[in-house]
Amino acid sequence: MTAPKVAIAGCDGDSSRRLDATPVAIAASGEVTALGLGRERLEEAVLANASGLRDCPRLAGKGYQSTVGGFVPDEVWRSLRERDPAHADAPAFLLADAALREARADLRNGGSSLLDNVPASRRGLVLSTTKAEITALEGAFHQQPISATARRHLFPALLAADLGAAHDIAGPVQCVSIACVSGLIALQQGALLIQEDKADLVFVVGVDLFSDFVLSGFTVLRSLDPGGCRPFDAERKGLSLGEGAGAVALARRETPAFPALTVTGWGSSNDANHLTGPSRDGSGLALAMNRALKKAGAAPRSIDLAHAHGTGTSYNDAMEGMALRSVFGNPVPPYCSSKGLFGHTLGAAGLLETIVCLIAARHQLLPGTPRLQCPDPSVPDSLLQKPRPAESLRRILKLNAGFGGVNAALVLEWGGG
Amino acid sequence: MSQFAILAASFISAEGCGNDRTRLRRWPETVAAALQRGEVEALSWSTLFRSETSRFGRMDLLSRLGLMAVELLDAGFETWEPAQRDAVGVCVETCSGCTAADAQFLQTPLAATFAYTLPSTVLGEICIRHRFRGPILCLLPKPGQGGSLEAALGWLNRGEADACVCVACDLMDKKFAASMLSPQDAPGGGWQSGAVLIGRQTGASRKYPLRPDWLPRLARSLVASGIRSAA
Amino acid sequence: MQSLTDELKGKIIQALNLDKITPTDIKDDEPLFGAGLGLDSLDALDLVSMLERDYGILIQDMDAARQAFASYRTLEDFVQRNRV
Repeated sequence: MTAPKVAIAGCDGDSSRRLDATPVAIAASGEVTALGLGRERLEEAVLANASGLRDCPRLAGKGYQSTVGGFVPDEVWRSLRERDPAHADAPAFLLADAALREARADLRNGGSSLLDNVPASRRGLVLSTTKAEITALEGAFHQQPISATARRHLFPALLAADLGAAHDIAGPVQCVSIACVSGLIALQQGALLIQEDKADLVFVVGVDLFSDFVLSGFTVLRSLDPGGCRPFDAERKGLSLGEGAGAVALARRETPAFPALTVTGWGSSNDANHLTGPSRDGSGLALAMNRALKKAGAAPRSIDLAHAHGTGTSYNDAMEGMALRSVFGNPVPPYCSSKGLFGHTLGAAGLLETIVCLIAARHQLLPGTPRLQCPDPSVPDSLLQKPRPAESLRRILKLNAGFGGVNAALVLEWGGG
Repeated sequence: MSQFAILAASFISAEGCGNDRTRLRRWPETVAAALQRGEVEALSWSTLFRSETSRFGRMDLLSRLGLMAVELLDAGFETWEPAQRDAVGVCVETCSGCTAADAQFLQTPLAATFAYTLPSTVLGEICIRHRFRGPILCLLPKPGQGGSLEAALGWLNRGEADACVCVACDLMDKKFAASMLSPQDAPGGGWQSGAVLIGRQTGASRKYPLRPDWLPRLARSLVASGIRSAA
Repeated sequence: MQSLTDELKGKIIQALNLDKITPTDIKDDEPLFGAGLGLDSLDALDLVSMLERDYGILIQDMDAARQAFASYRTLEDFVQRNRV
């Protein structure tokens, strides 16, 4: 390996070096979850520390390890299908599209002129999903009639293309699929598109469905809590799946006329250990966290809140406790998990959980951990069981981890105005 | 001038396989016919490599393709220090995704099968084998869109990785593609896998303008023609 | 009539997609997990599925199963005692 090789010059003068350091802010958000459609429903649940998990009778008697999950309410599905009958059997599109519509409305309602001033060619989209329109594959397997649209959306790149087309996005469109860290990685990609001057407004949307496919998978892995997840609980038994979509609009933080949450740092890593179990010492996740902190120029003690992955499995939560200790030493900042709020939403998790951080920052409130009853004594004791007002909630570290040993972290800063 | 260079490239398809030093080698007759028919399971690790591998047999075919492309780079990763491996970024791009593994899981719902129903599992297998702990990305682009080379350059330029392995792997059964997609959408079916290793290098003799759609084509052309040295 | 040993070793190899392993490679007293045969947690789950499907043995608690799976010998004893 000694001979010098071919050098790479960047495309268009190596755009990755022409990095604009202007912080990227979350200008708006849109969401649809087990709590319902829109941010108000989600906000109410965060403030009340409520859980949107429920039992689904339709799933009973099929041998699934759990029938409890974060299901988008039936009335929401009905209204989405009524509004868009052409996508009636393409639920992944319906959810992602709904979240994007909410985000655009949020952008307008917030008084932003971005939608008027940014032409379609300067708008980008990054889609985050693990299984996209998996119902199309299930349907094909069971020899049911599936629309051409739904079949197209089994392929995440085509789902991304269609969402872009539906939302006047003619700039860069990317699709990220990297297990449960897809959302945070998609946010990283979105921020980069702006910093590399490839777009001025980027919508990052994460979506995943509650499907029999994924439910079967976690059943054979025996990773589900039959009673519903209890993150960081001493009696935790596993995770609960959820469905939903979360979308954010990213743009340069030009004028801090009003408070906003900016993305100031990010990092990722691989455990390099095992496919479905995290490395026991949490060192992989700690690497990702330290990389994000370094990129943000943030000292660990400056973090006011760590929003954990906190799935409720024995292994994940123990590993995260170790990672938190490893990065923060003593004391670990207050930390929480939102998986009890809407379930583990897979490709949407990074987006929806970042939106929870946004809600927390707006209200200057440290979120609780819904469904936690009895904190595991072996995890750091700064675990937030119930929400409480924050003295000053400025800097948040958001974490996720996933199959294949993937880890990601994001540093978010609240300020301005 | 960029300080980064492609240090190795590899490619595998029904045509043959190899890296920038061995060049593209045709398959033996016995294997070639099977591969032409799309029977990727005909590729066995031990016929290509002398090294050991763990549990190749339970991996889905997409992961096997990606892992083999990285092995074919013949970069001597096993001699790299842990600190070096901690700084290797891995970026995977796949147009097909893991629909083949998805279909297999629907047939036989087993734990090991489910583990491969994510397009990023191949990334996990690569990192596990080589103990890479650097930044990670897995993209699902449209055919010709690419993205992993740009991402890797970004990591290198911002100092977030010291070396990057970019892998493009695809596996699509032609009949499945035809049953699910219209002709203009179908990525054509078929299979291939290509990888490049990008790292710090000065004094390189040639420059390739970076184009986003190039990873599979770039890998194939570097393997076919070799990478010229400065001397 | 195949002995249980031959049959069970064959089923393990098949269920877990163990490449280049033959029944004689599965030593009776070597560990199945970690060292020895080198099985992991995904294999444990699929082993349990196979036992359920082919021997009618229902395992509720994976931790208890780990003890039965310590070596091939303990596994075969477990199957002998619990098969339906």
